[in-house]
Amino acid sequence: MPEFNAKTLKEADALCERYAEKLHALLPLLHLVQRENGGWLPPGWDAYIAEYCETTLNHVRGVITFYNMYHTEPVGKYHLMVCTCVPCGLCGGDGVLEHLEQRLGLRPGQTSPDGLFSLEEVQCLAACDKAPLVQVNEEVYERVGPDQLDKLIDDARKKSA
Amino acid sequence: MAEEKLLLLKNIRKSGYKGTLADYRKTGGFTALDKALKQMKPEAVQAVVKDSGLRGRGGAGFPTGVKWGFMPKDTGKPSYLVCNADEAEPGTFKDHLLINEDVHMFLEGMIVSCYAVDCHHGYIYIRGESMKSAKHLQQAIDELYKEGLLGKNILGTGYDLDMTVHRGAGAYICGEETALLESLEGKRGQPRVKPPFPAVAGYNGCPTSVNNVETLATVPWIVNEGAEAYKALGTPNNAGTHLVSISGHVKQPGVYEVELGVSLRSLIYDYAGGIRGDKQLKAVVPGGASSPVLTADEIDVPYDFDSLVKAGTMMGSAAPMVYDEDTDIVELAYRTTRFFNHESCGQCTPCREGNFWLKNLIRDFLDDAGDESKMSRVKRVAGGMIGTTLCPFGDAAGMPTVAFVQKFPEEFRKHFP
Ligand SMILES: Cc1cc2nc3c(=O)[nH]c(=O)nc-3n(C[C@H](O)[C@H](O)[C@H](O)COP(=O)(O)O)c2cc1C
Ligand code: SF4
Ligand code: FES
Repeated sequence: MPEFNAKTLKEADALCERYAEKLHALLPLLHLVQRENGGWLPPGWDAYIAEYCETTLNHVRGVITFYNMYHTEPVGKYHLMVCTCVPCGLCGGDGVLEHLEQRLGLRPGQTSPDGLFSLEEVQCLAACDKAPLVQVNEEVYERVGPDQLDKLIDDARKKSA
Repeated sequence: MAEEKLLLLKNIRKSGYKGTLADYRKTGGFTALDKALKQMKPEAVQAVVKDSGLRGRGGAGFPTGVKWGFMPKDTGKPSYLVCNADEAEPGTFKDHLLINEDVHMFLEGMIVSCYAVDCHHGYIYIRGESMKSAKHLQQAIDELYKEGLLGKNILGTGYDLDMTVHRGAGAYICGEETALLESLEGKRGQPRVKPPFPAVAGYNGCPTSVNNVETLATVPWIVNEGAEAYKALGTPNNAGTHLVSISGHVKQPGVYEVELGVSLRSLIYDYAGGIRGDKQLKAVVPGGASSPVLTADEIDVPYDFDSLVKAGTMMGSAAPMVYDEDTDIVELAYRTTRFFNHESCGQCTPCREGNFWLKNLIRDFLDDAGDESKMSRVKRVAGGMIGTTLCPFGDAAGMPTVAFVQKFPEEFRKHFP
């Protein structure tokens, strides 16, 4: 079973102190594990976190599967989230998704074999005035067209070459 | 552009304003906190907010001061204030503007409001995807701790307050206040049976008020300027200004601050600059994806809580989504039900199954396989979700779908084989 190192353990303990009970820190704890593991939850962490929070493995798995942002499979170094909700979907969101699907050869939910990109279709990101948009990790790129998307991909490839 | 009435965006609209602590102080920031903590009892803060007529900006429009008044005192348990910064209603992006560009105004409102309900640990529940905004919020909070505006003995008054940012993890339903509290307790975000209401048993079983970002950000203005000044804005029973998120096919999508009661037509044509490419308007979904659609002939309505209810829809989170003549209403309806199907928490059968059926039924129309019986089935299934579920999500998903078919039947008929 994996476990926190001294530094992350300290961070985790500090998180728990912000709540009335240790279990309440479960969401931030899972975020912490993902941050430390390239954006996903490798096997075994669910059991470790359950033990750490003094809860059941079932509870932790129930939470992991309920929320969209916890990944039990590896995600790309660049996680591309395209909003095709309303209103973005009616303001060019589909075009952005199609372009990225073609350029990356990925369907939503897939990660490229080199681990560089993953593509996800998402619901409203509270930035509808910037449609069409794509969020790459933490950064939102607004009113994106094909050229800007290509540049984004090329820059990412260059940076990781 | 028509002129805004600036209470909440007054700083943001100034050129050069960056929203740093120094910037905010220069505009007179934290005077309301000083006044509240040094000259007012918590009850007095509650009273001025109640008298102002401020109604919650999260969607339901419940009077804020009244809600705070429901929290029992002397229970021997701590009281909590939880800010709802989930902002996941499609079309809505005003709360993020406040957090990103005038974070200290919002935090001042949060601190004053915590004081008003005798809370010593406030939580801000922000949606998981907004990592940058969450970091920005955390940095601002760290700064306030250093400055003695959070933590022990704030401004030397003996008032102690801790503040924690809690990130969600991608689930629209966590905007519903009891689902939010479940999520804050490390559980799946599934709404609770009410009663008990959060005011009585909220976070950790303790008295809790859940309030929207914009609601809390309005409190410093009210404390500074008084209840009468606030009530003088807007229309009777719909006091004040509201941040309106306008999106879709308009020339200038964005957030506009207006007095409640301005006409919806004016919002679209005077504030947001009219329809892109000078096309004709076809439809407006006036208050986020949960609100029933209005046709182009129905936009001469005052934009406030009560007038929109009278017009058969609702103001919701104040997010008009504007669609031009080229829009396929079936496409719009499909995306809307797809959203609700994706986000249903699954506890109630009408919501879980109904949204799934609706999505598939409307998908049939997109594939040009619609017919009259499917149209009535959409209405029947959507209608069957209204009033039959544990939380308002069922209504929120059912009502707009019924309205699409009722108001735009010809659009659906275009998709018959
Ligand atoms: C499905 C659903 C989603 C909601 N989403 C939000 C939201 O994202 N932000 C918000 O402030 N309120 C949201 N609400 C309303 C909250 O339940 C609650 O009424 C509100 O946060 C109270 O704050 P207020 O009194 O300041 O408006 C939602 C309600 C429902 C039923
Ligand atoms: S109405 Fe829908 S979202 Fe609300 S509790 Fe029931 S299943 Fe969950
Ligand atoms: S619909 Fe895409 S950000 Fe709101």
